[in-house]
Amino acid sequence: MKRKIGVRREVRTESENAIEVKNLHKSFRLPTEKAWGLKQAIFNRLRGIKGYKDQKVLKGLDFTIKKGEFIGIVGRNGSGKSTLLKILAGIYYPEKGEVIVNGSLIPFIELGVGFNPELTGRENVYLNGALLGFSNKEMGEMYDDIWKFAELEQFQDQKLKNYSSGMQVRLAFSIAIRARGDILVLDEVLAVGDAAFQQKCNDYFESLKEHGQTIILVTHSMENVRKFCTRAIMIEDGKIVHDGEPEKVAEDYLKLFK
Amino acid sequence: MNIPNVLYRNNRILLKELTKTDFKLRYQGSMLGYLWALLRPLMMFAILYVVFAKLLRFGSDIPHYPVYLLTGTVLWSFFTECTSQGIQAIVQRGDLIRKIAFPKYIVVASTTFTALINLAINLAVVVIFALINGVTPSLTWLLVPVFIFELYCLALGISFLFGAINVRFRDIASIWEVLIQALFYAIPIIYPITMVANSSTLAAKIILLNPIAQVIQDVRYNLITTETVTTWNFLESPVAMAVPIVIAGAMLVVGAIYFRKQSKFFAEEI
Repeated sequence: MKRKIGVRREVRTESENAIEVKNLHKSFRLPTEKAWGLKQAIFNRLRGIKGYKDQKVLKGLDFTIKKGEFIGIVGRNGSGKSTLLKILAGIYYPEKGEVIVNGSLIPFIELGVGFNPELTGRENVYLNGALLGFSNKEMGEMYDDIWKFAELEQFQDQKLKNYSSGMQVRLAFSIAIRARGDILVLDEVLAVGDAAFQQKCNDYFESLKEHGQTIILVTHSMENVRKFCTRAIMIEDGKIVHDGEPEKVAEDYLKLFK
Repeated sequence: MNIPNVLYRNNRILLKELTKTDFKLRYQGSMLGYLWALLRPLMMFAILYVVFAKLLRFGSDIPHYPVYLLTGTVLWSFFTECTSQGIQAIVQRGDLIRKIAFPKYIVVASTTFTALINLAINLAVVVIFALINGVTPSLTWLLVPVFIFELYCLALGISFLFGAINVRFRDIASIWEVLIQALFYAIPIIYPITMVANSSTLAAKIILLNPIAQVIQDVRYNLITTETVTTWNFLESPVAMAVPIVIAGAMLVVGAIYFRKQSKFFAEEI
């Protein structure tokens, strides 16, 4: 059951590259028939069945992201965008190839990771903060601002299960924007919330862009690609099919669905 | 990257916060809350005491038998809590593992720390009981943490090894539940080891090579009464004494190595 592993390194150099990806491959082992459990595993081995099939998801990606770029990654469902993001974030291991991350990278695969419905809002804020690397003391300093921004001050000591989903997202977002990393990786997190919340998201992205923050954004919204991105990459069937001007990539992307 | 990453600031923060959360959640929604950390072993002790000490009249030859029994149950519930929670830890925290990158051992460590906190509370009760029961405090009490450390290493090693296998084969958690029931009877917790020794010296010797039995007997020896059998005074050989310690150490090393190797794929397999 030996598996190949590519390289993912985190470095801190003065290089102007924030991320370098070279010949990145990734496949997943999908259990074919129910290979979940000891009995099936022994059965399959006895009968010489592998019990899984390799699904190639990324088939050799090459790109470099420079510091200060706002990159949009687009592509249809199942094209490999999220897998790429998770490899950049260090959640999945690359199977082949090399990923070099220069500086600290903060991923938002989802808002409110680790939120627990049985804990109060207050407890969840500290837990979520810890996942972003903030100590208790640091969270304490930002605490009031977080609640003020979420406009949920009166619910601090309620259990999270009594929050509406919209309230949970607002709280998660207020914590998330405190995160300070050299590179931010965002997966569709702004596709939620009402109009007022969307406006807040937009303002946040505007301010990040002004500050020259390096950002990688996976999105289906070509409006956002045009508005924020300085460059866009389109992925189709595990390969990069277009890398360049956001305007042109957005056009290409929309053609996919005609 | 190979510096023990316990030293990294972010990992320490996360470990602390996850342990706190774990501890809070375990007694969440119960009226008595944290009191259950105390009540559970005490109730377990009450049952065992009535059945074994009063009805079956075990341990009449051991001084301070109730405290002796309580010490055994407290250490045993620490071991079961530590391993059964530790083995499940990775699967239960799947939501985190799929969404952020962090060293996976933190999840296992945090649940075992919760068990350690519970043990500390329970040991305080044991000490109070011991004093009420007329046990004289002695300097050998200071040796107790050493044996608990040994037991913790064993439990942590088991959690790493089986916890990693449990990600792919969920049967492990169920198998462990059964195994632990069997282990309970293979360790002199409720019965005095002299009962076994009277019918078969060999059986008693084998039992005492089990690190859990060795730790429980040693803690009893140092905490309550020197009139008890330990691996050391029963087998009287340095080699025999080394066996349980080597088992505990080896379990931790093997578990940690296997866990480290497998942890790269947890996010995909959970």
